Amino acid sequence: MSATHQAAAEQYDYDIIKKFSVMAIVWAVVGMLVGVYIASELAWPFLNFDSPYFSFGRFRPVHTGAVIFGFGGSALFATSYYVVQRTCQTRLFAPGLATFTFWGWQAVIVLAAASYVLGYSQGREYAEMEWPIDLLILVVWVSYMAVYIGTLMQRKQAHIYVANWFYLSFILATALLHTFNNIAIPVNLFTLKSYSLFAGTQDAMTQWWYGHNAVGFFLTAAFLGMMYYFVPKHAGRPVYSYRLSIVHFWALSFMYMWVGTHHLHWTALPDWASTLGATFSIMLLLPSWGGMINGIMTLSGAWDKLRTDPIMRFMIVALSFYGMSTFEGPLMSLKDVNALSHYTDWTVGHVHSGALGWVAMISFGSLYHMIPRLWNTTMHSEKLINIHFWLATIGTLLYITAMWISGISQGLMWRAFDDFGNLQYSFVESVAAMHPFYAMRAIGGMFFLTGMLLMAYNVYQTIRQGVRAEVANARAVAAAA
Amino acid sequence: MAEKTPTQAQTTGHVWDDDLQEFNNPLPVWWTYTFYVTIVFALVYWVVYPSWPIGKSFLPGVNTITYKNAAGQEESWHWNTRSKLLMETQAAAVAQKPYFDKLAALPYDKIAKDPELSSFVVSAGKVVFSENCAACHQAGGQGKVGFFPNLTDDDWIYGGSPEKINETITKGRHGYMPPFSDALSGAQIDELAHYVASLSGLKADAAKVAKGKELFHSHVAACYYCHNDDAKGRKDIGSANLTDKVWLWADVPGAADDAGKIAAIRKVIVGGLDKGVMPSWQGRLSEQQIKLLTVYVHELGGGK
Repeated sequence: MSATHQAAAEQYDYDIIKKFSVMAIVWAVVGMLVGVYIASELAWPFLNFDSPYFSFGRFRPVHTGAVIFGFGGSALFATSYYVVQRTCQTRLFAPGLATFTFWGWQAVIVLAAASYVLGYSQGREYAEMEWPIDLLILVVWVSYMAVYIGTLMQRKQAHIYVANWFYLSFILATALLHTFNNIAIPVNLFTLKSYSLFAGTQDAMTQWWYGHNAVGFFLTAAFLGMMYYFVPKHAGRPVYSYRLSIVHFWALSFMYMWVGTHHLHWTALPDWASTLGATFSIMLLLPSWGGMINGIMTLSGAWDKLRTDPIMRFMIVALSFYGMSTFEGPLMSLKDVNALSHYTDWTVGHVHSGALGWVAMISFGSLYHMIPRLWNTTMHSEKLINIHFWLATIGTLLYITAMWISGISQGLMWRAFDDFGNLQYSFVESVAAMHPFYAMRAIGGMFFLTGMLLMAYNVYQTIRQGVRAEVANARAVAAAA
Repeated sequence: MAEKTPTQAQTTGHVWDDDLQEFNNPLPVWWTYTFYVTIVFALVYWVVYPSWPIGKSFLPGVNTITYKNAAGQEESWHWNTRSKLLMETQAAAVAQKPYFDKLAALPYDKIAKDPELSSFVVSAGKVVFSENCAACHQAGGQGKVGFFPNLTDDDWIYGGSPEKINETITKGRHGYMPPFSDALSGAQIDELAHYVASLSGLKADAAKVAKGKELFHSHVAACYYCHNDDAKGRKDIGSANLTDKVWLWADVPGAADDAGKIAAIRKVIVGGLDKGVMPSWQGRLSEQQIKLLTVYVHELGGGK
């Protein structure tokens, strides 16, 4: 086994993957730490320290940027470069360009976080970066696309493996979304501030076309790509259905583009546009579930491994949360359900059941599978992976349960009238009622963060033991010669 | 491990990365049919609600909304967000209307004697107060020493009659006291602080109190000019009553000891005040709402 790994390390370009894997872990720790901090600010507001630099408004995009683009993005770069090389049996196209995507992407995350703390924001959710950073993203992303497509084109096998379709759709869609959502005019050449080219409802619709497809292609399609490689590979089982993978891939890609307007129900958006958003969301349910079915049915011949293999547990729980949140999403997109859920914590809980339960868990599973193979060793501690699994699962459940209760309570309190026709509660009363759930959410986040710290430690020890073995090996070879 | 799946489908025949394969299983039947059901659901939704755009118009949907407009006439429209909002808020407005009408018609002294109207005022006033007033005067109206007056005690800076409260809400208020740091010496300010403390029964140095009393009524400090000879203040200009135990600007209740209490009073005399600003609510709240709040706030403090 060791010999084949050694060969793989020479056959493929692993250095860039190692870099991205390490940064994925680093950004996960940073992003989740900030997440726990802002969750605590909501429960215990003194943590603002009356300073703009510590305020929720500035830290919130730091959190989302670090976890989505820092952790999620780096994990996707790492796994996509790993998957595309191994399934195409070729080294990366333009390795210099690939190295540029690493430094460029890390610069984006750092610059974005720094600009938010200093108060610069476009005010577009998940696209808060101002225009110079947007341009840097554009260059990095086009380079990424060139490396990825170039590698696919020099593949040694006629058929392109399914994981690559998903990664490729993610790269293409993200390029499209990023470009059109960020068309803005800078106030002048030497200022960071800019204004969107679109106005009013059109601007809101562009923002949510981007926002929801960032969820659809960045956080769903891309991680399905990850799932399609690491689940069958780790289970040692063939993918359940090739046909299902094709049908749900195209259905998913087609449907997602329509659904952004469901974020703008009960606003100035024309009713017909909001109806279309709702219905395409409903029709998106089964295409989304196609990925879950394919993943779970692939694992179904290997249930016995669930008892012994915590990596497998991460994968199956990730697929379960994926199934749950892709059911919840269409439900919340219906006009009448949305009337209750809109602007409440239910939305926040929904996002996190996807983000913690699906995106983070499938990344943990994949990274735990990939990292020992990259450094030609085994994970330092299987037991720590298992503890990480339980902390992550309990943390996620605490988080989403707290947000369900607080979100539905908010929705009900805001719309309650008494017999006189007066509103029954003031807004501030609903805020006061949320306090215990905000505390519970922060505690859920602390569980999740603690698990992440264990992972960071475990990975650090794994890399150390891999590097040491390599050095010892080189010495032995030198001594023999 | 032996495979016990004789019905297992064939793989597609492709192999990637040593051992990655795909079975060629058909689509699960339940998956396919549930997908069709969601499409049928979408079709129904398109018929019921406004859906596809056509030219400059759109399919309006068969669903309609009927509601009573502000003039009391029934209106009916194809389903739309705005009508849905009007339907719900109008229903509430219709329920509120008789009470608001009665509130507008009755003089203040009669409102308090009508138990049903009074409970309406408590219910409606709570939310209007919480949304507009509580940010400064706090959720229960208890205020904050050093910042915002307490509305639940019976001490009214500008008068506690309904007419005066209404005037305060409608026009807003601006309290001002000049700083005395230049006009008076440190010793004089100290003497005044002791005198003011003694007025409400706080512990003070008798010698300083005597000197302070003289200063208070002299032309040097001229405190009596605003606070009156009896030091009970003037409601027409909102100067504080210094003889009661209610403190708004000087944080006497928060002081740890007697020296701290004197220091808190000193601070106000030294620096004066220019932050007693309450904005005008005219234009932001309707006359109805202001009258409602007047009665509500009047009741909070027991009323005068």
